[in-house]
Amino acid sequence: MRTQITSSATVMSSDAVKKRKPKVIRSEAGAPETKRGRAEGDQDVRVYNEEVELEVRDPQQDYMLYKDTCAALAKLMEEIQELKAGGAKVQSVEIEERRTQCSVHFITLKKLNRLAHMRLKKGRDQTHEAKQRVDVLHLQLQNLLYEVMHLQKEIGKCLEFRSQHEEIELVSEEEFFQEAPAEISRPHVTRDDQHQLTLARLDWELEQRKRLAEQYKMSLARKEKIQKAIEQKREYLSSLQPGLQNIMQASLPVQEYLAIPFEHMQKQAEVARHLPPPLYVLLVQAGAYGQACDKNLSVSISGDVDEAKALSRPPEDSQDDESDSDAEEEQQNTKRRRATLGVQLDDKRKEMLRRHPLSLCVDLKCKDGSVLHLFFYYLMNLNILTVKTKVSTTTDLSGAVSAGELLNSESLLNCLYASDHGKETPNPANRYQFDKVGITTFGDYVSDLGHPFVWVQKLGGLQFSSGGAQSGLTGSALSASHMERTMKLLRGRLQARLALHKQFSSLEHSIIPVSSECQHLFPAKVVSGLVRWTTMSCQEFTELGFVQHVLKAGLVHETDLFFMATVERGTARLRAAVVMNPRYPEVAPLFSLSLHWKGERSGRTDDNLQAMESEVNVFRSELQGPRPGLQLLTNQIQRLCVCLDVYLETESQVCDGSEGPKEFPREKMCLRTARGPSRLKPFKYNHPQGFFSHR
Amino acid sequence: MGPVELLHMSVFSQSFSPCGRFLAAGNNYGEIALFSLSAALSPDASEGSQKPILNFTAHDGPVFSLLSTDTHLLSAGNGEISAWSWAELIKKVSQLFSKCMTSLEIPEINAMIINPKDNSLIVGGGDNNIHIMDMETGIFKSVLKGHTDYIHCLCFKEREEEILSGGEDGAVRIWGHTEIPLSRFQTCSGMVGQECARPQFGKWISCLATDSDWMLCGGGPSLSLWHLRSMSPTSVFPLPGCQREAVFHQDLIMSVGEGPYVSHCLHGGTVKAQIPCTPSSLNTLALNLKNTEHRVMTVGGSSHQIDVFTNFSYRAFSLSF
Repeated sequence: MRTQITSSATVMSSDAVKKRKPKVIRSEAGAPETKRGRAEGDQDVRVYNEEVELEVRDPQQDYMLYKDTCAALAKLMEEIQELKAGGAKVQSVEIEERRTQCSVHFITLKKLNRLAHMRLKKGRDQTHEAKQRVDVLHLQLQNLLYEVMHLQKEIGKCLEFRSQHEEIELVSEEEFFQEAPAEISRPHVTRDDQHQLTLARLDWELEQRKRLAEQYKMSLARKEKIQKAIEQKREYLSSLQPGLQNIMQASLPVQEYLAIPFEHMQKQAEVARHLPPPLYVLLVQAGAYGQACDKNLSVSISGDVDEAKALSRPPEDSQDDESDSDAEEEQQNTKRRRATLGVQLDDKRKEMLRRHPLSLCVDLKCKDGSVLHLFFYYLMNLNILTVKTKVSTTTDLSGAVSAGELLNSESLLNCLYASDHGKETPNPANRYQFDKVGITTFGDYVSDLGHPFVWVQKLGGLQFSSGGAQSGLTGSALSASHMERTMKLLRGRLQARLALHKQFSSLEHSIIPVSSECQHLFPAKVVSGLVRWTTMSCQEFTELGFVQHVLKAGLVHETDLFFMATVERGTARLRAAVVMNPRYPEVAPLFSLSLHWKGERSGRTDDNLQAMESEVNVFRSELQGPRPGLQLLTNQIQRLCVCLDVYLETESQVCDGSEGPKEFPREKMCLRTARGPSRLKPFKYNHPQGFFSHR
Repeated sequence: MGPVELLHMSVFSQSFSPCGRFLAAGNNYGEIALFSLSAALSPDASEGSQKPILNFTAHDGPVFSLLSTDTHLLSAGNGEISAWSWAELIKKVSQLFSKCMTSLEIPEINAMIINPKDNSLIVGGGDNNIHIMDMETGIFKSVLKGHTDYIHCLCFKEREEEILSGGEDGAVRIWGHTEIPLSRFQTCSGMVGQECARPQFGKWISCLATDSDWMLCGGGPSLSLWHLRSMSPTSVFPLPGCQREAVFHQDLIMSVGEGPYVSHCLHGGTVKAQIPCTPSSLNTLALNLKNTEHRVMTVGGSSHQIDVFTNFSYRAFSLSF
């Protein structure tokens, strides 16, 4: 193989030598055209184009040639080395030969290198050209794409175009074809052509609108005419009003004569429209009750109607007024000092406690001619009703000193229903309102504003969720359900108090008034007599020694009335402390006794005195007398006198041991003077036999 | 019962149940109330357990006397004696109380005692006589007459089977098996008993108690201890009010009467202690000796409250009607 390669190399190299020459000539000459011309001219000279040679030769073969040449070169170098090492001279033939061969190899290598370079350049050129072409095409592509996009956008815009005609609502096609006249609808054209159809529809729309506008104008004109006619008629009517008023006035005497207070009721109804709702409910219910059940009850409205109207006026007007007045006020304020905090608070309080300008007056007449006047007020901000009372009697009531408290308007209606004191507001929401303006107790203002009893709220239909049973009624139903009972209680209270008044004036003259119906309760002869009847204050009562058991049992309240009765016979003096509940005679007065006779004894120390107490306290139902039981108190006092008689007469022992004559001879008939382990005396009177026995 | 009625209530009689766990009390309105002592004395007692578990009207007039046998509660009203079964009372079967009523024509019955030997009930009443009734048959066997005024109290001497009675007339009579009194003595007239007499109060005898040879009696006269065989008072107790009930207990004498206290006295005649109570005067004192768990003393008087003493020296709490 080596020899073959060598020979091919030699052949190649000789070819190369041959070929080199023309090439050398060419490069020395310069211009290629001339060279070519010359080459054509000279037929012997081979035209040498190395570039053409590039296409012919195989790069792989060239690579192999290169490797071979390098190997040969290396071998030759080795040989030279060997020869040199063997001591041969530099100019020896072998070395020269080899050197020549080496040179030839070098030339081969140089050619190969040149070829490689040329190949590279050629490759680069080709690549470059291809790239150019690709770039051009790429640009074209992008241009086209851009154009496409542009065109698409344009198309899109065209498609989206909304002409104004589409905003007009048109009737549907069916309707259009039905309604429009033929010259507009032109079905033969429009059925096929959408554009024409739309045009036709628009035409039709225009037609219709014009027609309707015409109609509208005509209607307006008609309306104007009618309006004018109405105005005229109204004026006519209002001119009638004064005439009618005159007729009404003239008919008043006739109404009175016929007792149909038509005018009066109308006027009241007119004013009643301005009442706040609770007062209105009360008015209606009280009036209804009065008409239906109780001829002696009458209701009337009093107060300032204009102010009430002012309250119900719409707030815009008042706001304007307020702003003006505020401006004025501010001007004034800058001149004066600003009001102090206390005054401001005071004003706020006054505002909170403001009463409605209208109030109701209910009059309850009794058989004896005395009248209980009730004035009902409505506190607007607190939403509660209050009541004030006044009693007017036919006779003068200034006789009894102890009766001062009985008809006191402050306490007359206390506890009409149990524990309804009327000192605190029943509306729980008021607590928060009071905290804002610094009112601690409503009780301070009660004397001014009236008492806010719970029954008053119920009569006005106001239901507050305080403790206790609540019905589901509100408004008129609530008022109606309480009206009858409350009116009866009110009347009963007045009558009881008036009766007590009379009784007290008699008691103060040491006379116990016992009516003929109650005579059977007592024996004919009663020796002990009442000597004093006075009123006491709560403080004085609680300081008494013999009433502590009543206080401990919780039977005494601040709203009660306290009295002291003194019964005497001979040297014996019996003091009775009386606790009277405001709801007398439903709740009986409670007596506590203390006897001063040969020592001091009370119901606690002496069982017989306790028995006397139970005679008047426990067996009170016997002493009620005829309905409505107003004689309870006087009967109780009379019974005390009777019992004292029995007590003193049956007391047989004499304190100091002597058996002298008894102070109180026995006059009462008693079967037995003592019974039972505590040896009680007979206090029960039996009628008509007239003797005393034990219970 | 309103608050006014409660204020004027007086408790006149008490009796413990045979088991000792219940107390029956009678008041002046004719009602009998049953209290549960076990509930009231238990550690988790509340106010409600001091109220009666049962309250019913037994008679028209006041219930002056209550007595317990082994099975029944006997109550005395105005001339009638009713027997209530304890078992049914405890079960509170309200409609079905069995009553056997016996009527006598006497105004009231103040005292009842039982003679266990011949099972008879001895009743002292307002007609000045003592009636003896056979408990099995319910027939009144005999009447002991002799007092001139109504009988306040009775007691029974077990050993000799003798009955002692004290009355409004101031006499104490001792009755044996016959209808004739064995002896009688007035405590405040004549030579006997001068030192006990208190003429400012009166001469009636309202309490009697006996302990074999000794007898306590008091009332208008001061409470005094008498030796029965010699019929003379050995000690007189200086108690201010009139005593209405007295008992012997161990070596003490306890008595109640006018005045809001229970008096503890010694046989020698000294008053050892006076324990205050709620009612202002006391009518009845009862000791529950049948039951060791509920060994209490209860007193009642002119109040609707009954005081309970667990330790006899002070008042523990009050039951109330």
